[in-house]
Amino acid sequence: MLEVKELYFRHKGEKRDILKGISFSAEKGFITTILGPNGSGKTTLFKCISGIWENYKGEVKVNGISIDKLPYKKRARLFSVVPQDHEPAFPYSVFDVVLMGRASYVGIFSSPGKKDYEKAETALELVGIRHLKDLPYTKISGGERQLVLIARAIAQEAPVMLLDEPTSHLDFKNQINVLKKIKEIASLKGLTVIMTLHDPNLASLFSDKIVVINSGNKIAEGSPKEVLTEKLIKRVYGIDVVKVDINGQNIICPLI
Amino acid sequence: MKGIKALIILASPFIFGWIALFLGAYGVSPIMVLKILLNETLHVFNVGDIPEKAIIVDIRLPRVLLAGIVGACLSGAGVTLQGIFRNPLVDPFILGISAGAAFGCAITIGFLSFLPIQFMAFIFGITAVALAYTVARTQGEVSRLTLILSGVIVSAFFTALVSIVKFLVDPNKLQSIVYWLMGSFSLADWKGVKVSLLGVIFGLIPIFLMRWRLNVMSLGEEEAKALGVNVSRDRLLFIGFSTFAVAIATSLCGIIGWVGLMVPHLVRMLIGPDHKTLVPLSLAGGASFMIAADTISRTITSFDIPVGIITALTGAPFFIYLMKRGGKEAWGK
Repeated sequence: MLEVKELYFRHKGEKRDILKGISFSAEKGFITTILGPNGSGKTTLFKCISGIWENYKGEVKVNGISIDKLPYKKRARLFSVVPQDHEPAFPYSVFDVVLMGRASYVGIFSSPGKKDYEKAETALELVGIRHLKDLPYTKISGGERQLVLIARAIAQEAPVMLLDEPTSHLDFKNQINVLKKIKEIASLKGLTVIMTLHDPNLASLFSDKIVVINSGNKIAEGSPKEVLTEKLIKRVYGIDVVKVDINGQNIICPLI
Repeated sequence: MKGIKALIILASPFIFGWIALFLGAYGVSPIMVLKILLNETLHVFNVGDIPEKAIIVDIRLPRVLLAGIVGACLSGAGVTLQGIFRNPLVDPFILGISAGAAFGCAITIGFLSFLPIQFMAFIFGITAVALAYTVARTQGEVSRLTLILSGVIVSAFFTALVSIVKFLVDPNKLQSIVYWLMGSFSLADWKGVKVSLLGVIFGLIPIFLMRWRLNVMSLGEEEAKALGVNVSRDRLLFIGFSTFAVAIATSLCGIIGWVGLMVPHLVRMLIGPDHKTLVPLSLAGGASFMIAADTISRTITSFDIPVGIITALTGAPFFIYLMKRGGKEAWGK
């Protein structure tokens, strides 16, 4: 599990805090979504948790271990990070990309061994993209690339997985496919999954817990049903919505 | 298919080396070359005291070996720098390392002859790459274009410093600096080969062992860190090892450009970008390329053309081709 306690962050030389004391927790086997509009601080929060920005105040703990000041290698074994879709400088094969998830297990003067190759194979299998194995990572679709990055995170074998806007560049079908896959893997592997999203409906459909962030503050934390009220959406996004219940799922429908 | 291509590339330095040994002003038959080599190494053929033996063993063999090792050093440094800077358009020459190392060599020849030439070459090579990187880095990002531009600036700066040395130095020493700067293997001897092995041991071997890391580092700083790589430390190591290899190469044969750019590119086109195979094959390819270029430089006319001219004549059109082919993609982030 992951705990965030009283997290403050500001950029060097600036006077304004971007994060103003955020605390929340994410539990094993469940998906916790950080939800918020653009500029709310959710990306900053993500970067602090994932260790990209280190000069924050507060504490981030994984399974009781504070990740602050841990060497990169140890940190990578506690949590994996799935970045937003991007293009690498060189057209590595899908398998090569997944194998890179093993970096924290490979010594500086050596290359991945048989075991690492097996773990990468298993990860590809689990995500269901084995058929893409030998294709160049630059030549597959955005949805497939997201799955490759998820497979890489699985090969990393960390108990916590962080995903930054896993659906941001995807079409409707791929958004649903990728999120379904994340949910499936989270419960199968007992992972603690934390992701950022900006679509309240996707958050509602696929999360066990939602943490709502706005202007650097935590507005709410809880199950989608508790958290996503018409009042909260109005407050955070500034638009009027109506909440509809379809087959036990909450759907937020904007009034236009 | 890839396996066959890889085998051919790995075997190529030996084939080119053999051809280079029997080509030249004094004709030696290909079979005789093999006999002399076997006589020297395994003592199986007794060829007696023939003039061919001295030509092959004392003159051509050290030259071919030196060309091969220098080619491997430059190409190995090129593939490493391309990986850590995530930029397929850089090499030691473009980043200014060669110019920095050349300046280190020039002041040693000119004024500090008590110091080993390689020492200053390394110091100024490292200074050059550090400068190029610092100048190019804005807000934590290094774009492909700015890195190349800052390399050009640093290169020009050190080239100017070399000119100052040339201007101030004793005319007797000037000639040796000028000739050496053009990049040539005509002064190759066994002592040079021994020195070049330093570049192999303290430059290429560590790079070879660390080569898989280049895959991870080429994803960029944030991602490599998230995957558990200590990026700052590893980048320093890679820059150190590759600059050392280039410093050794430059101290032995002057400035030879473009090899580190062209060879890794050609290998990547043939067998793909995975550094696990790319690095060893670039080393082999660099060796073959340099042996071939040097053989052309000493056989095409009746005198020795500096090999740096041959590599520049092939390298510049190659760079233009890459630029045109890559289009916008090549210059993006």
